[in-house]
Amino acid sequence: MSATVLDPAVGPADRTPIPAARSIRGYTAAVARQRADAGMMTLLGDVYYSVIMVGIGVLIALGALQQLPVVDPPGGPVGLSLDALARPVLMVAAGAVVSLAGRLGPVGVGGAEAQWWLSLPVDRRGLLTPSARRVPVVAALAGALVAGVLDAALAGSASRALRVGIGVGLAAALLVGSAALVQSWRGSRVVAQGGDALMVLGAVSAVAVLALGWQPSGAVDVPWWVSGVLVVLLGAVGALVTTRLDRIPARSLRDSGAVAAQATGALVSFDSRELGRALTDRIARQERRRSRRMRTVRGPLSALVTSDLLVLVRSPRHLVQLAATALVPVLVVSAPALAGSVQVALAVLFAGGVAMAATTEGARRAELTPGLDRLLPLSANGLRRARLVVPAIVMTVWNLAAFGAVGVWYGSVPLWLALGVLAGPAWAGAALRSAFRPAPRWDLAVVATPAGAVPMGAAAVIARGPDAVVVGLLPAVIAILVGAPLPVLLLAQVVTSAIVLAWGSSTETRSLFERLTDSEAGR
Amino acid sequence: MPRPAPVLSANRLEVGWVGRPVCGPATFTLRAGRAIALVGPNGSGKSTLLRAVLGLLEPLGGTVKVLGSPVDERTATFRAHVSAVLDDDAWFPALTVAEHLYLTARGHGVAGAGDEVDELLDEFGLTGHAEVLPNALSSGQRRRLLLAAGLVRPRSLLVLDEPEQRLDSAMRRHVADRLVAEKQAGGAVLIATHDAELLASVADSAVIVGDETRVVRVDEAVDALRPGAL
Repeated sequence: MSATVLDPAVGPADRTPIPAARSIRGYTAAVARQRADAGMMTLLGDVYYSVIMVGIGVLIALGALQQLPVVDPPGGPVGLSLDALARPVLMVAAGAVVSLAGRLGPVGVGGAEAQWWLSLPVDRRGLLTPSARRVPVVAALAGALVAGVLDAALAGSASRALRVGIGVGLAAALLVGSAALVQSWRGSRVVAQGGDALMVLGAVSAVAVLALGWQPSGAVDVPWWVSGVLVVLLGAVGALVTTRLDRIPARSLRDSGAVAAQATGALVSFDSRELGRALTDRIARQERRRSRRMRTVRGPLSALVTSDLLVLVRSPRHLVQLAATALVPVLVVSAPALAGSVQVALAVLFAGGVAMAATTEGARRAELTPGLDRLLPLSANGLRRARLVVPAIVMTVWNLAAFGAVGVWYGSVPLWLALGVLAGPAWAGAALRSAFRPAPRWDLAVVATPAGAVPMGAAAVIARGPDAVVVGLLPAVIAILVGAPLPVLLLAQVVTSAIVLAWGSSTETRSLFERLTDSEAGR
Repeated sequence: MPRPAPVLSANRLEVGWVGRPVCGPATFTLRAGRAIALVGPNGSGKSTLLRAVLGLLEPLGGTVKVLGSPVDERTATFRAHVSAVLDDDAWFPALTVAEHLYLTARGHGVAGAGDEVDELLDEFGLTGHAEVLPNALSSGQRRRLLLAAGLVRPRSLLVLDEPEQRLDSAMRRHVADRLVAEKQAGGAVLIATHDAELLASVADSAVIVGDETRVVRVDEAVDALRPGAL
């Protein structure tokens, strides 16, 4: 700005010095506090409740992890040690932290702050400091908790778990702080891309570790002196970030804030796909696509199948999700310390659940904005059945990898592959049931549990999809637990797959209980 | 009489998304006490140009300067001199209409914020809504609040993106009068608009934004706003 320009030309002539950023924040917060019904006691109550919830969760996780049996199967373990696996897993976790930090800013402001604060000529550093501290603190707490619990469960030493938890927490905070520093220079996109690259590198190194049979000399540990170094580095990075906060452009702050708001909304409504969109759509480079002529489309059915396929192949995130989840059962059966039948079954179920969500992006979008569906001359049931095709094909291929690994582990591949093929459609039915789900109903009853109050309306939405997985994959899970894909289980799998296909493609919106009571009432 | 120094100067300013320009490069100069209107059909790049002028979008090429310096919205001086009302519609959920205006006025160091806010609330027909939360306002009333916020603070350059949107005809005329007064007080005004009346009454020249972005006379721009002209 030119040195000759002093005061703005138009507007009130009587002016005071520009206020401090702290007073702007204070004014906004004070008014919000005044209008909110929540007092200090409510806040303390919420904090107490959260701590209790986290504590119960940690204890349940620890108990469950320590109860899992480790039984060598007939085929014998391949021999991947937990210490060898820990390094790639840590790399993936670090990548996830950096990637998430890049997507959420890490420094950002909400829409109101962007509009009403960022246009003020006050020192932006003062406005942004709380926002800049929030994400590193959350990362530190989450990192410390997860690392501490896992270490306690696997190593069984409380003092070691404390040391590792604190070290990993500090490292997570340092990663996020460094991401903020990069954001002030190069923007958020490069941070997110760096995190993604680190995650891919972690996955590749996991495959390499598996293929080469690499064994490290010792377990991953974070000595106290490393934590000390991390504290010093964290202080330095924190100070540097504070001095550079005013160099972050408003557009970057605004974009990050919008992502955080969308992601929060998705979390509150338990919509994992919306969460995925929030974390990828805005950060993704807007690309022009070459329009296809759709020559394969011969009718409404093939139009829907083609559109679902296009959505999938044009979404690298979902392809990576499929590949990465297919790797999970492979790694679990390869690590003797993890490979028990229960763990393998859980790995297949959880990884499959995440994978199936990637296959129904087209259906989920259609549920939100059914524009294409309404244009096509198909019945509601016909539309649902058409949407089953892509998930069924993709999940069958996914099952070949997952059940192939289980087959190698148990030493008999062909029958396990057959079970995988038969179970593929069950995933598709469950995926579709999960895709076409209503918004959570918060007006329904709340059930008190030892872990706190559970709103039934929301719980019903979360369970929609996983409930079909439980039913549809039951024979496959039993086969993994007993260690053999018995003919009766193969037959049962055909039946449960058919049931879940019908269940998932049903357009009935009432629950079974509601339908029964309605039929009794003659409605 | 010497011509006033340029408040805003764009030289072959090229804007767009994903490296692709949305319109031809723009070259124009806006001086104190003058107004320039950007006109063009939907999607021609008017709002994108405004965002580049405000530093909210990195230009693809060319230069844009405000008060002789390259645009950098990160500097407090830029924010002190440039007031903008775009189509953004975000509010603090707990702050009333009046409190949003107080926050803006005090944040810009306006000494008599109370009187200024009262005056603008009255001017924009919001006095009866001063104590309500913005979410309770109609779409047009929220637009009035945004315009009031753009005017409650000191400025050298006023940038408005289609200020006529969502306003009734009486308020449109009032906004036109307000912008004429803005020029007379020595301010510079840059607006994007589809309103021929606003264009004719406020602008001193116009920029038709399109494949070949060019500066034209106001009457030529008014003709261009007729249906089918662009």
